[in-house]
Amino acid sequence: MIAASLNPVFRAASEAHDLGWLGSVSTLLFVVAFLAWSWVAYNPRNRARWEAAGRLPLEDDSSPGGDA
Amino acid sequence: MSPDTSNGAHETYDDDIVRLFFGATVLWAVVGMLVGVIIALQLAFWPANMDVPYLTFGRLRPLHTNAVIFAFAGNAVFTGIYYSMQRLMKVRTHDLLSRIHFWGWQGIIVSAALTLPFGFTQSREYAELIWPIDIAIAVVWVVFAINFFYTIAYRKVQHLYVAIWFYMSFVLTVAVLHIVNALALPATLTRSFPLYSGMTDALVQWWYGHNAVAFFLTTPFLGLMYYFLPKAAERPVFSYRLSIIHFWALVFLYIWAGPHHLLYSGLPDWVQTVGSIFSIMLIAPSWGGMLNGLLTLRGAWDRLRTDPIIKFLVVGVSFYGMSTFEGPMMSVRSVNALSHFTNWVVGHVHSGALGWNGMISFGMLYWLAPRLWGKVHNESWVSLHFWMATIGIVLYVVSMWAGGLTEGLMWRAINADGLLAYPNFVDIVQRLAPFYWTRFFGGTLFLLGALLMAFNFILTIRDARAAGASAPVAAK
Repeated sequence: MIAASLNPVFRAASEAHDLGWLGSVSTLLFVVAFLAWSWVAYNPRNRARWEAAGRLPLEDDSSPGGDA
Repeated sequence: MSPDTSNGAHETYDDDIVRLFFGATVLWAVVGMLVGVIIALQLAFWPANMDVPYLTFGRLRPLHTNAVIFAFAGNAVFTGIYYSMQRLMKVRTHDLLSRIHFWGWQGIIVSAALTLPFGFTQSREYAELIWPIDIAIAVVWVVFAINFFYTIAYRKVQHLYVAIWFYMSFVLTVAVLHIVNALALPATLTRSFPLYSGMTDALVQWWYGHNAVAFFLTTPFLGLMYYFLPKAAERPVFSYRLSIIHFWALVFLYIWAGPHHLLYSGLPDWVQTVGSIFSIMLIAPSWGGMLNGLLTLRGAWDRLRTDPIIKFLVVGVSFYGMSTFEGPMMSVRSVNALSHFTNWVVGHVHSGALGWNGMISFGMLYWLAPRLWGKVHNESWVSLHFWMATIGIVLYVVSMWAGGLTEGLMWRAINADGLLAYPNFVDIVQRLAPFYWTRFFGGTLFLLGALLMAFNFILTIRDARAAGASAPVAAK
């Protein structure tokens, strides 16, 4: 039991204000955010966009001595 | 100076600031590693402190950690950021702000070297510097942040490449970490009292301490990896899609991992467990990033045999993978019971610092040098440096693993009566001598490699000066 190891003042506070729901809701929100972002990242429609983005570092001339 | 004075095709970049940070990186690498070698010798052979209080382990150790983290690694990151972000944004950074950032940061490093040996410290690990220097760090950091976001605001490329996101997490999070952890009530010019007390103080300190590893030594270096590895391999990153999942998963998980430094302490159990769980979950994005880096070399693996820059970068990324597997293991309570306070932790840290930060920095510097000054003076020294550094790390890390396991097992060994098998602490310390000597030789080899690199770069710059106006130093 977590509550049993707490300082009595904190235990009373934690019993008066049970914030367990906050952990559940935030976990759920972050899982949804992760899945949504993964869907954006791996959506085939965005494939060309990400491939273009991946080529950005190679767009400037950086041959030795010839770099800007 | 306004950075949007010309169109993208004719933009000039500020490469002088890159050269300044490059030089500072090399200088502080040698200084920081030299102090490390001195204190490594002191652990094997205590008279090496020469009976001078300013040179004792307790004074020099924070000097070593501050020098290698904030001076060597910090300047290496700034070198890479100023080079890559101008090119990724196709816009010039602000000249004056860049110089205030450079000279301010070097001033902070010098003031660290002038205070720590004399015992002026806040006694917070990786945050030892006294409060006036803490304020200077905050001010210089804000100057850097303004320059950074100003460049982003005026960029001529719409998409922010993944390296920029990693740099952004570095700029923002380090500011928050530093300011919150450094909050203190000054008593005199050199002394202050932290705002927090007891367990809260410990938790704030290790929230800061672990995220210094995360957001000073990991995310900006991943940004460097995502820029300089594709550059060196001459092909885009293996999976850009993976890189954006990598970024968000890594920054989201890392910020909660700090409590794993406080297992078996007075910290509430559930907070300790949260720290362990988030640390273990970190394996996923860490290894996703490592694989993304290594697979970038698909079809170019033959260059690993011939190109020393690719060797530095690949070994760097491999050490990243090893230390990000080892770290989560060490945050498991039962493993931590054995590893905590032992030299295993020192081995782990150096597998990350020498193997990951050091090798990525060296690879980046060797890639940049011909682009900043012209041909590197001696190419074969680059390969020699690679082997000195790699063998040095292996000697260092393996000896600290073995030494750490030895002392961890001896500390907790009990005899048939249930008493400590080795009640005399000094007996255990003496058993570590061969490991300390091996570590000293490994560290010395790594330092000699860095000295060879510094010498090579000095000759490279001399060659460029001798070549005069024909040297490819002018901006397009």
